[in-house]
Amino acid sequence: MKDTMEDITKDTLIRASQGDMPAFEDVYKASSSFVYNVALRVVNNREDALEVSQEVFMTIYYKLKTFRFESSFKTWVYRITANCAINFAKKNSKTKTVPFEEAYGGGAVFNDAQKNLDQEHQEKLVENLLGELNADQRACVVLRDIQGLSYEEMAQALNINVNTVRSRLKRAREKLLSLSNRVNYEKV
Amino acid sequence: MKKCDQYKDLILTDYIDRQLSQEVSSELENHLLDCSDCRIFLKEVKNNKTPFQQAFQEQVPGELWDTIKQKIENDNQVNDRIEDILGKLRGLIFFPRLVPVFVSFVLMLLAGSVTFNRIQIQQTQARDQGEYLVSLLSNTTSVSQAESNDLGTPIEHYFL
Repeated sequence: MKDTMEDITKDTLIRASQGDMPAFEDVYKASSSFVYNVALRVVNNREDALEVSQEVFMTIYYKLKTFRFESSFKTWVYRITANCAINFAKKNSKTKTVPFEEAYGGGAVFNDAQKNLDQEHQEKLVENLLGELNADQRACVVLRDIQGLSYEEMAQALNINVNTVRSRLKRAREKLLSLSNRVNYEKV
Repeated sequence: MKKCDQYKDLILTDYIDRQLSQEVSSELENHLLDCSDCRIFLKEVKNNKTPFQQAFQEQVPGELWDTIKQKIENDNQVNDRIEDILGKLRGLIFFPRLVPVFVSFVLMLLAGSVTFNRIQIQQTQARDQGEYLVSLLSNTTSVSQAESNDLGTPIEHYFL
């Protein structure tokens, strides 16, 4: 079974922090899926996601020496990933996808039929929906709805308080709701 | 009793994300039994969340690890080269440890200036006291001149 971030031992982290490449590869294997997928959803582009993931792992490699084991390693990785991805998305805000209404104006996407969408459609839909949100809102939706983090974990990852997490999620979902209502209204 | 807007706020965040306490959750569910508007709203919010919950976790491209590994190896090579050059330079030239040398120099300078100031003050005081005593004993014109210039206070006497 594939290791997750919870499975990484303190010994592995210490060895990785001392420059031991096999140990760092273990760290990479356990955290790369989270890092890459969060980066991918926040920057909404595969090429950029690779760049952000690279930056995240270089940061982990060089800053592991300063990791004091006061918080969990998982939370630390969440924070670095969210930080790098949001900063990249803000700097490169041109990466906006096709406007949602333009892409879905002619078709129903929020009714029960969406359950039958094939993988490609599903991916496109997620990409376009996320493209309508700003980087901070996108990070919240990704961490909560795709990665399943709790509000507490999100607050730590984003370095904000839990109420700010709530308000960002609320605004993001309100925006997505109004989009779906407009698309469905135009369809009728 | 909450209004629909307040319940909708809870539906949008804590209720849909299962972060509500049992008590508030039950209260909201009781409200949903009576309010069709909030029930429709809940369905819409759930439908909006579905695409994200069903989103696939993409396979991490193999090239990512290769690039990271390569970058670390390059960094290490550069660091080794710099270390090598510095090592050779250290062998050629004697580099005193600059910080301790600088700190010792500053401390010596401070100690010297404090001692020098103290000696100067002591010398000035001795000279002034001597002059005063001599003037008192001899009762010369310099004293009468000093008296004529003074302001009539003991401190003036002391310094003049």
